[in-house]
Amino acid sequence: MAHDLTDEQYKSQKRAVWMATLWLTIITIFEVGVSLLWLQFEFMPRFMLNLLMILASILKAFYIVAEFMHLKYEKRALTLSILVPLVLFIWGIIAFLIEGESIRSLREIFS
Amino acid sequence: MASQTATTDKVNWSGGTMPFKARYGKLMMWYFLLSDAFTFTTFLVTYGLLRFSTDYWPDPNDVFSSAPFGIHNAPLAFVSFMTFMLILSSVFVVLAVIEGHRLNRKGVMLWMGLGIIGGIIFLGSQAWEWTHLKHEGLWFDQNTSMIDADTGDTYFEHTLHEMEESGETLPENLVPAPKLFTSLFFFITGFHGLHVFSGIILNIIAWINTAKGVYDRKKDYEMIEKMGLYWHFVDLVWVFVFLCFYLL
Repeated sequence: MAHDLTDEQYKSQKRAVWMATLWLTIITIFEVGVSLLWLQFEFMPRFMLNLLMILASILKAFYIVAEFMHLKYEKRALTLSILVPLVLFIWGIIAFLIEGESIRSLREIFS
Repeated sequence: MASQTATTDKVNWSGGTMPFKARYGKLMMWYFLLSDAFTFTTFLVTYGLLRFSTDYWPDPNDVFSSAPFGIHNAPLAFVSFMTFMLILSSVFVVLAVIEGHRLNRKGVMLWMGLGIIGGIIFLGSQAWEWTHLKHEGLWFDQNTSMIDADTGDTYFEHTLHEMEESGETLPENLVPAPKLFTSLFFFITGFHGLHVFSGIILNIIAWINTAKGVYDRKKDYEMIEKMGLYWHFVDLVWVFVFLCFYLL
């Protein structure tokens, strides 16, 4: 299993890791920078800022899982068996946020 | 027994081969992480539900604006440093995994060592932040800060006292900040911190085994790879904890 890395693979893997690091750093600086600028100038609606932050975080998650955790280079079946169950999150997030909003409106009605 | 030269998937899955080209330990680490991802997601989704069901929520830019050495009014500064520390630590561990594939014991020890130090710095920073917030009156089931209902600005108790003493006019519509916020914050960052802590312990054990030549004798550094997976997962979770508590 181990010691099967040629010099070329070794170099290309290291390069891929440093590239991913560079992207993660850039995205983090972007996130923090835009948040701080938004505090000063409020150049777009809050929900657009939030959407931007969520997309940036998903991009960061992609780099960590694909490059650092090496999932991009695993067998396709293994990758799918990890990623497909995560589809449930989409349902979970939508359902429970709607539920939260509903709890608030019910509280307003009955208090 | 399927033959090694078989090319079709059917033969690949009928036993005798490794369809996923990964051994048991690594595979089970992946599925453990999948289950852990569900645990963290339920916590963060609970956070979302409770936040959506609450009228006023503290502004993270006001709550998390202090750093060690007397730095105040610097929103996101300290947590950005913590985030970067954890990413850097992850990078070091990835490099350790790559060196492990080359059976380079010294390389593994160097990068894994740096990864462990990065993790300890992160945990220390978190301890500082927790202590700071506790001093400000924010703790599990306790939140003494107030929210300006008009602007959403959040004030610590001592800030309001100082404003009062210096004769400043206080905001008119102050409402108490929800305790839910602090309970969720300390619980979720605490659970993440517990993962960081156990990750550091496991990494130290792997480092000692490397130093003793255990993996050299086996000619197999897969343990470093498994620890690496766990460590990157901790980093991955932090990306979303950072998003939910500090950015949104």
